[in-house]
Amino acid sequence: MSLAARAGGWQQQRARAYRRGLAPSLAVLLLITLVPAAALLVASFTPLTLTDPAASFRFDDPLVNYRQLLHDERFIASIVVQLKLSASSVLLQLLTGLGLALLLDGRSRLLAGARTAFLIPMVLPPIVVALIWKILYTPDVSPLHRLLEAAGWPVRSLIANPDTALWAIAAADTWQWFPFTMLMVLAALQTIPDEPLEAARLDGANRWQLFRHIVLAYIRPVLVVCGLFRLIDSFKAFPLIYVLTNGGPGNVSEVTNFYGFIQAFNFSYWGYASAIATVMLAGVFFLSWLVGRLGWSDHGVR
Amino acid sequence: MAFDDFTLDAHGLPAASTADTGTPRRRARPWLVRHAREIAVLLLLLLLLSPFLWLVQLAFRPAADIFEDRLLFVPTLEGFASLLQGNFLKSFGNSLLVSTLSTGLSLLIGVPAAYALTRWDFKGRRHVALWILVTRMAPPIAFTIPFFLAWQYLGLQDTVIGLAIVYLTFNLAIVIWLMQTFFEAVPASLEEAAWIDGCGVWQGFWRIALPLTAPGLAATAVLCFIFSWNDFFYALILTRTNAITAPVAIVNFLQYEGWEWTKIAASGTLVMLPVVGFTVLVRKYLVRGLTAGGLKD
Repeated sequence: MSLAARAGGWQQQRARAYRRGLAPSLAVLLLITLVPAAALLVASFTPLTLTDPAASFRFDDPLVNYRQLLHDERFIASIVVQLKLSASSVLLQLLTGLGLALLLDGRSRLLAGARTAFLIPMVLPPIVVALIWKILYTPDVSPLHRLLEAAGWPVRSLIANPDTALWAIAAADTWQWFPFTMLMVLAALQTIPDEPLEAARLDGANRWQLFRHIVLAYIRPVLVVCGLFRLIDSFKAFPLIYVLTNGGPGNVSEVTNFYGFIQAFNFSYWGYASAIATVMLAGVFFLSWLVGRLGWSDHGVR
Repeated sequence: MAFDDFTLDAHGLPAASTADTGTPRRRARPWLVRHAREIAVLLLLLLLLSPFLWLVQLAFRPAADIFEDRLLFVPTLEGFASLLQGNFLKSFGNSLLVSTLSTGLSLLIGVPAAYALTRWDFKGRRHVALWILVTRMAPPIAFTIPFFLAWQYLGLQDTVIGLAIVYLTFNLAIVIWLMQTFFEAVPASLEEAAWIDGCGVWQGFWRIALPLTAPGLAATAVLCFIFSWNDFFYALILTRTNAITAPVAIVNFLQYEGWEWTKIAASGTLVMLPVVGFTVLVRKYLVRGLTAGGLKD
């Protein structure tokens, strides 16, 4: 009896100790994530601007910003640009990453070294990646343009041309992020058991069939999660666009994130920009929920 | 257990079957095909890393030589020397300071929380974990607008402290997420034994769990440092002159100081140096951190 009571007391004592350890983090997270998110939502219902600070707490027409969004052609266009950029670069990343992972899956020193070297684009500061591609797209100093010129095939700068600017950014984005897919697929390849491969090989399957029916089946979930992760992250793409094209020429490379940035920090329409950010946040929540539904988010929670 | 490379060998086959014959999949291939693969890897390495190498060589080129086609040149440090004169060193120092500060803060607050989340099964644990994951996903613009307005009001705009606090929005999530996986690897029975000997929960954490996860802790710290170091968006908006960080200083070179390519390339090379160095040092854990949340292991 008294032993059980003491054990219960110890349990409570432990729970109290754990709560003390967890509390500071939760308090800080509350303060720096939930409170700003709530503030953002509140601001999105007001016409808050720099020129009219008194409007900050006016809620007489809370949906004005959202209504305006529906008729804002620049906003709609930015979503289309975002979708084009995200779809093309995520698809290219998946293909490049998958191809390289298959190529690098083996045990030699060269392959191990290459696996590390190919990580470089992903860990570089994004601003340095932007710088690298700025150099590559500037005819004066670009090895690419020099080669083309030497071959008698001079081209205009790809980022100054409205037809190619967005695809130039997609290429740079693909370069930066293919290592992510490569890493994930490499890890997934390790989990494939040998038996089905051996059995299929004995049955006379060729390499394409092995890949198509066995390897791909094992790594498909990882590819889906990779795609979703990269899709979510692609909404944040900023340094590349800021440095390479600044949203231009015209608005052809202006993604939603960038448009929100301009509304907030160039025009100081904070209420309106908050509405844009809220819409983006909702989109990210939806995609995160999708990742969670696929059962991959409970990493470390069983 | 520490910093060996991440050849995934650990999961592999028993040593006897791999040591001299290679994996079964490779054994089936003829000699020539195997070497074709190595050649392809080398060519791809050269092709895919050439943009990066071009930046580095540009940093060492004499300024007069920059528009020349020659690949060979006498390297100089002019570009780096010109950085010493301006404000670049100060922004480099700011970057170091803000990254260190934010890393320290997030470890201090986040590590105990990660420990509690690993060892304590309470209701709502899943929700807490999910919330932490979502903070990693949220677009920075959603946080910058409220922070920008609040920091103006609180006088934290353009201060190192203010920026370090904002970096907690992503660093805290990384610490809690990653350290959980490291604490899980420590058997709970060790701490239970300590409790029987009269240790409190946090004494057990401090004397047993924490020392055993030291390599993981170091790797987590490195990741936090890199993520803070790499940030551009928050620093662009929340700093002006005093607390300006190195990535923002590079952009200022691009926009306001003409096109001194040697200087620009030198600054880019300096800024990526710590990151590339760390990558080589802790690649195994880096890989775990970069894929955190995406892989079940």
